[in-house]
Amino acid sequence: MLRQATLARCLVLALIMAIVFVPMYWIVVTSFKTGRQILLSQSVYVPRPFTIDNYVYLFEESRFALWIRNSAITATASTLLSLAIGTLGAYALTRLRFPGRRTFGGLVLITYLVPPGLMFIPLYQTFIRLGYTDSLGTLILAYPTFLVPFVTWLLMGFFRSIPRELEEAALVDGATRVQALVRVVLPLAAPGLLAAGLFCFTLSWNEFLYALIFIADDSLKTLPVGLSEFVVSDFAFWGQLMAAATLASLPVIVVYIYLHKYMVQGLTAGAVKG
Amino acid sequence: MLTDRHRERLLGYALVAPVAIFLVALVAYPFLSAIYLSLTEKVVGYPARFVGFRNYESLFDSARFRIVARNSAIFTGASIVVKLLVGMAMALALHKVVRGNQFIRGILLLPWVIPTVVIALTWKWLLDLFRGLVNVTLIDVGAVTRGVHWLGDPTLAMVSVVMANVWRGFPFFGVSFLAALQTVPQELYDAADVDGAGGWQKFWRITLPSIKGVVAVVTLLSTIVTLNDFNIVFIMTRGGPGAATHIFATYSYELGIMSQRWGLAMAASMASLPLVALLIVGVVRYLHREEE
Repeated sequence: MLRQATLARCLVLALIMAIVFVPMYWIVVTSFKTGRQILLSQSVYVPRPFTIDNYVYLFEESRFALWIRNSAITATASTLLSLAIGTLGAYALTRLRFPGRRTFGGLVLITYLVPPGLMFIPLYQTFIRLGYTDSLGTLILAYPTFLVPFVTWLLMGFFRSIPRELEEAALVDGATRVQALVRVVLPLAAPGLLAAGLFCFTLSWNEFLYALIFIADDSLKTLPVGLSEFVVSDFAFWGQLMAAATLASLPVIVVYIYLHKYMVQGLTAGAVKG
Repeated sequence: MLTDRHRERLLGYALVAPVAIFLVALVAYPFLSAIYLSLTEKVVGYPARFVGFRNYESLFDSARFRIVARNSAIFTGASIVVKLLVGMAMALALHKVVRGNQFIRGILLLPWVIPTVVIALTWKWLLDLFRGLVNVTLIDVGAVTRGVHWLGDPTLAMVSVVMANVWRGFPFFGVSFLAALQTVPQELYDAADVDGAGGWQKFWRITLPSIKGVVAVVTLLSTIVTLNDFNIVFIMTRGGPGAATHIFATYSYELGIMSQRWGLAMAASMASLPLVALLIVGVVRYLHREEE
């Protein structure tokens, strides 16, 4: 009986692992195939011989490096902006007493839950009215609309876990609130800040919808938009595209290996949505 | 002279001010002006004209919008149900695994980490009519003689976008459920064993009731996001063939970005709002309850 249950469990697990693994394998394996192998469906499962031409092509004949640059600038700037704003907000909401604090915390959570699929047209209209579209700055301002509520919500949890006594000791010693924040609370919250920052970076790096709508200038396109435009009316250079997909995924996978332990905590706290 | 209490208040307001200004300017204002714009008609070269609910009326009257609403319901409903089932299977299968648990969980979460655009493109390629892995393999094992029109057939196209969405989303369900399972006290199961309960009974009577809060929050969160999904459908099918996979966000895109019919586009963006608002209220209530 027990044996049977264990066997069933292993089978389910193996099946799910296979379902997850196969598409990822297909990405990587395609990226090492020649155009001919792909076109003629030769060596479908394992490319023989294999080639790195697709990767070379990306850097020598496409705008891939430019897209990476645009994505890196946008993600870094919007992450720093969101961290700065969100950290202050989260500190105030967890540590300071002022009227309206709980209501405000609730409103932040609500803005966090408003999906981009509902917001992109309204936000685009606002940027048009401001006369500020088609610049990386547009995205750097747009991404914090979902990053700031996220950072605030995540860091509120971290700040709560820092013992109040440490801060109070600093206050008794004559430090001001701001000094206590900078010298005592922030250093203790550093792992949380780093985790929040890396989450923000990943979310910005992967963002597609706003980047697609707000940016028309070819030289300002971000990586996800650039990738999506590899497919032209149902025809695609799958080899190059999958090489680009592999490289686009690498940074977030590296970040994720570091973040893994926080991620599971964050997930259960409902701080991350899927 | 300011008292300490006043100082604390002032500092509090000063520190939340940036968050507040930001969210008012780029979330609340766009949102409210969208509601206003959805009640106007704007033609290029003329000022916006107030038309009341006419945009909503013509939206709800159009056959295309009804198809879009139906597709959104099918896409969301099917995705959520399958994600729940697969996520639960993943959590239950992984729960008692001791060796390699972390590692397996790490691998299984990958689809949730890599860019959605990559996932959508990969599934488009997996399901390619002539050279995609799925059709090539199906032909190789003799299951079919000719490639299946995954993205060309209206029903199969919906199945395809749901598959891609499930692939991306189920790890989130699984890992959340797994974390919740680990908080269920073992004594409950021991007591059930003494009473001679079977596996199913334990699942329905102990496991599910114990983790129902997490199940509810995860389901609500995912429903909000899936109902307003754009990336997967836009990249895999552009809403096609015909309008077979057109959903709310791709339809707003068509009205606003492609046709520049802003009043209608705003109305379409806001059409799912009542439902989204209800779901958000649900999440907020559950999260608050857990906090207390």
